[in-house]
Amino acid sequence: MSLARRNLFQDKTRLGLSIGGVALAIMLILILKGFLAGMNRQITSYLDHSPGSIIVAQEDVVNLLGATSLLPEGIDQKAETIRGVDEVIPILSQFVILDLHGKKQPAYMVGYEPEQGGGPWRLIAGREPRSKKEMVFDRVLAERHGLNLGDQVEVMGRDFTIVGLSSGTTSWMTSFFFVRKQDAEDLLLAPGATSFLLLTTSDGADLDKILRRLNDFSGVNALTKKEMASNDLKLFAKVFSAPLKLMVGIAFLVGTMIVGLIIYTATIERQREYGVIKAIGAKNRFLYQVVLTQALFASIAGSSLGILLANGAAQWIMSARPQFLIVFEPVDSGQALLAGLGMALLASIFPTRVMAGLAPAEVFRK
Amino acid sequence: MIRLAFRNLFQNKARLVISVGGVALALLLILSLDAVFTGVERQITAYIEYSGADIWVSQVDVFNMHMASSSLPDTVARKVKYVPGVASVSPILYLTNNVVAGDERNLAYIIGLPENAEFGGPWSISSGRSLPAEGEAILNRNIAEKSGIALGDEVEILGKEFKVTGFSEGTASLVNSVAFISMDDFEEMRGSYDTVSFLLVKVSDGESPEVVANRIQSQVRDVTAQTRNNFAAQERRVVKDMSTDLITIMNLIGFLIGLAVMALTVYTSTLSRRQEYGMLKALGARNTDLYLTVLAQAILSVILGFLFGLALTLLLTVVVPIFGSNLALEVSRISLLKVGSVSLVIAAVSAMLPIRQIAGLDPAMVFRGR
Repeated sequence: MSLARRNLFQDKTRLGLSIGGVALAIMLILILKGFLAGMNRQITSYLDHSPGSIIVAQEDVVNLLGATSLLPEGIDQKAETIRGVDEVIPILSQFVILDLHGKKQPAYMVGYEPEQGGGPWRLIAGREPRSKKEMVFDRVLAERHGLNLGDQVEVMGRDFTIVGLSSGTTSWMTSFFFVRKQDAEDLLLAPGATSFLLLTTSDGADLDKILRRLNDFSGVNALTKKEMASNDLKLFAKVFSAPLKLMVGIAFLVGTMIVGLIIYTATIERQREYGVIKAIGAKNRFLYQVVLTQALFASIAGSSLGILLANGAAQWIMSARPQFLIVFEPVDSGQALLAGLGMALLASIFPTRVMAGLAPAEVFRK
Repeated sequence: MIRLAFRNLFQNKARLVISVGGVALALLLILSLDAVFTGVERQITAYIEYSGADIWVSQVDVFNMHMASSSLPDTVARKVKYVPGVASVSPILYLTNNVVAGDERNLAYIIGLPENAEFGGPWSISSGRSLPAEGEAILNRNIAEKSGIALGDEVEILGKEFKVTGFSEGTASLVNSVAFISMDDFEEMRGSYDTVSFLLVKVSDGESPEVVANRIQSQVRDVTAQTRNNFAAQERRVVKDMSTDLITIMNLIGFLIGLAVMALTVYTSTLSRRQEYGMLKALGARNTDLYLTVLAQAILSVILGFLFGLALTLLLTVVVPIFGSNLALEVSRISLLKVGSVSLVIAAVSAMLPIRQIAGLDPAMVFRGR
C-alpha cells in the first residue's frame, strides 16, 4: 500500500494531471446524464402543471409534443356530458419557429381560453392575454433576446405584444408561449380547431370509467396526463439516447486511457524496483495489488473531483445559459464512482501484464 | 530536433498508443458530436432536397417544415401555376404523427400526395409501389423492419387503417421518418378539403428558381416562396441555432479532456527523458532547441491523435447504421477545420508545461548519474 502511495505521490504534477483528466471525463458523463434528466423534467413541464388529470387527443395521438392533434368538432360538448367530468378545457397547440434576432427558435405555442385555464402556471410579470394579438412569453427566452413587457414578437407573420412573462416554461430545445385560442386558430388558419382537451374530474370519480367512455367516441384517444407525459419522455429518450450513449461511452474510454497512461508510466519507470522486489521473493499477486491500488486511487480521486466539478460546471452552465436544466440524481454520484472503479480495473490490465512478464533476474543484469 | 522528437515519440510504443488514443478519443468527442448534428441536418432536409421541387411555397411567413405548420387555400395552386416560369405545381399535405403497428409507434412526417404526383413522393423505393393509392401507405424500410412490418401488412395512421404497399429508402432520421399516403385519405382524416400545406413547384427549362420564386412572392398574396436550397438552409438553421450552445459546452469539455491527456503525455515523456535532455544540454543544446523538441513531439502526437480520432469517427459513421440506429453521423469540413485548430492549441498549450523542467535541468546532472 505504501509502495503504491509513494509511486503515485512521487510526482505530484503527473498525479494532478491524471486525476484532473479522469475528473473531466467523469464530469462529462455526469453533465450528460444531468442534462438528460433536466430535459426530461422540462419536456413534461406543461403536462405536469396544466389543469386536469385526463387529456383527450386525436385518435392515435399519444404525445403532446412531437405529434399534431386535431380533435373532431363537438367533442368538448360530448366530454362535458360524461359523469364525473368537472371541466373541459380546450387548447390548440402547435410548434412554430420564431425568428428572434436572426436566430431560429422553435417554440411551442399554446392557444388557450384565459378564463378556462391551460395557460401559463407561473406568471412572474404582467398578466394573461385579454385581447387579440397578446401573448405570455417565456421569461428565459425573453431575457436571452432582450425582450420585455410591451415588446412585440412576430409569430407566423403577425406581431404579438408581450403582456406577461412566465417562468418554468423553457428548455434548451424549445420554449412555451401562450396566446388566446382564437389567435392560434387565426394563425393556423384553422377556425374552431382544438388540439387537446384537458379534463378535470370531480373528487372520487372513476378515472378508468371516464377514459372508457371518452374512448368510445369516434376519432379520439383519451389518456391520463401521466401516461402522456411518460409517452413524451419515451419519445425524446428514443431520440437522445443513442447520441448520449455514444458520448458517455467515449468519455469512459478517455478516462480509462488516462488512468492507463499514468499507471503504465509509473509501472515502466519502476520496472527495476519491481524486478528487485520479485527477486527477493515477492509474488506477482503482491505487485498486482500495488498496480491496482494506484489505479484505484487515481480513478476514485478523479471521480470524486469529477463529481465536484460536475456540480460546479452545472451551476455555471445554468447561470450562463438558463435554458439548460441540469439535474443530478443521488444515484449519479454512485454510478460515477462505479465508472471510476471500472476505469481502474480496465486500466490495470496492461501494466499487470508487464509486471507478470518481468524476469526477476533482469535487475541483476543491468 | 524533429528527428529526436520522432524517436522520443516512437521509442515507447505503449505510451504512444495510450497518449495518441487518449487525444484521439477526446477529439472524437468533439468530432462525433459535430457529426451527429451535421447528420441530423442532412436527415431532416432529405425530403426537401429529394422532393424534386425547385421552389417550395408555404403559408406567409412560414419558412420551415420541421416543427412548423403551413396552411394554404387550395386555390393558391392555380394562382402559382399562372406565374410565368412555372412549369408545374404539386400540392402536398403534411403533419407529424404516429404510424402505429401493434404496440409499435413511430413518429413520422405524414405526407399526403395527390394522385400521380409528379414530385414530393419517395425518391428511392426498395420494394413495392412508388406512389400510394387510396388506403395505402409507403413507409421507410428501416422503420418497418424494426417494427416487423411487411408489405401487405396493415398500419394505423390517425385512426385509419392503411395497407403498406411500398418501402422507401433514405426517409428516416434520428427524430422521425416519412410516411406517404394519398391526399384523399389525408383530407378525409383531417376533415378538411380545401387547404394544402405546401406547393411544390417545378420551373420551366432555362428559368432560374430564384427569379421564379421572387415572381411568385410578388404576384401571389399571402405566401412564402423559397427555392429548394433556401428552404433546406432554413431547416439546417433550426438545428444549428438550437444546438449551438450545447455543442459549445461539449466542445469545451472535449477540449479540456484532450488538453489534460496531452499535457499528461508530454509531461511524463519529458520527465522520463530528463537524462537525455541533460546530456543534450551538456553537449551544448540550448533550451530553445529542447522546447522545440517537446513542441514537435506534442504536435506529432496531436496530429496522430487527430488522424486516429477522425478514422474512429469515420468508422462510427459506417458502424452506427449497421446496428440499426437511425443516427447518421456526417463529418463536415467546418468540423475538421475546427478540430484541427483545437488540436494545434492543445499541442501548443500542453508543450508549455515541461518548460520549467527543461529550463531547470542541470547539464552536470548527467555526469552525476542522476
